[in-house]
Amino acid sequence: MEIKSTDNDSFRLVYDKCYSVLIRICYHVVYNMDIAEDLVQEAFERFYLKNITFPNEDEARYWLIRVVRNLALNHLRRGKRESAMLDKVRNRAAGKAADKDAQRILDEGETIKEVRKAVSELPENLRMVIILKEYGGLDYKSIGKVLGISEGNVKIRVHRARKKLEESLAGDEAYVY
Amino acid sequence: MCIDEALLSSYLDGELEEPYLSQTAEHLAHCAACRARLERLKGISAILAKDELPQEEIDSARERGLEVLERKLLGQEGRKPGFFRRRIEMGLGSMITAAAGLVVVFIGGFVLFGTSPEQTSEIIPSYTVQADSQNVRFVSDQETRGLDGYSLEEILSYLDSKGYNVDISIKGIQPIE
Ligand SMILES: [Zn+2]
Repeated sequence: MEIKSTDNDSFRLVYDKCYSVLIRICYHVVYNMDIAEDLVQEAFERFYLKNITFPNEDEARYWLIRVVRNLALNHLRRGKRESAMLDKVRNRAAGKAADKDAQRILDEGETIKEVRKAVSELPENLRMVIILKEYGGLDYKSIGKVLGISEGNVKIRVHRARKKLEESLAGDEAYVY
Repeated sequence: MCIDEALLSSYLDGELEEPYLSQTAEHLAHCAACRARLERLKGISAILAKDELPQEEIDSARERGLEVLERKLLGQEGRKPGFFRRRIEMGLGSMITAAAGLVVVFIGGFVLFGTSPEQTSEIIPSYTVQADSQNVRFVSDQETRGLDGYSLEEILSYLDSKGYNVDISIKGIQPIE
């Protein structure tokens, strides 16, 4: 079914279908729920304002994931300095998501910290692939479409990322299988 | 001959096609070493999954996001009144040099004043302040961007982007800091 991004019904359909995937991916790049929410919201605003027609839902989904990925990576590259004030306002004005976020990490203890460290230390080309795979739940074909690489390349990167994660998580007491 | 580990990784992701799928399944059935390798790969996915966002957090984020987008893009309310978008720091400098005396900036019935870098802008209805070049500062002159390094416009447009009804919340805004 053709998707017109400014059509309210199409927009709502895509929003409901894609939100979970987008927020999961974005969150695992920036590791901050409030920021992830902002960036996903921005992606949907762009989606609406760009007034694009997609041949089907999948293409709309790839487009959104691409935009969220770029926004999230830009956010990381811009660094913390610029966002310090926004965080401050955020923590006063909203901050509920961030509080929950922090609480969860506290509850889970070391495991999450170790996992995040291991994922964060992956080179970007491997990190994004594994985030799309493990947190976005995308198949190789979709990952290839989003990143503009072949499925074969996705397969190799997923495997390499797993090997590296295995190395960095090995010896970690939390790593039980 | 044992299975190449990249193949195992694809097998785990359900991405293997025939004839490799049957061959791999058959080999796994009678090779404990390969089963162990597969379990190790599963273990990595499992440990990453410990850092999943809880579904209820995703659901509430999706609802929040939709409210914001509906108001901003789809709603009937339209845009916020323009005066919040005016760059408030503009013109302040020339006013100061022209008459180093009482500087009062009226915006929509509110008065803005800057006193010291420590004390940031406040919004207080019907209030005047003695101001000169010592206690009124340019936002852009400040080197470190603390909370007071942001113009009111930036703060308001941030709040606006989060979907706050600025008209109402302006009374609720605490003097920041
Ligand atoms: Zn074997």
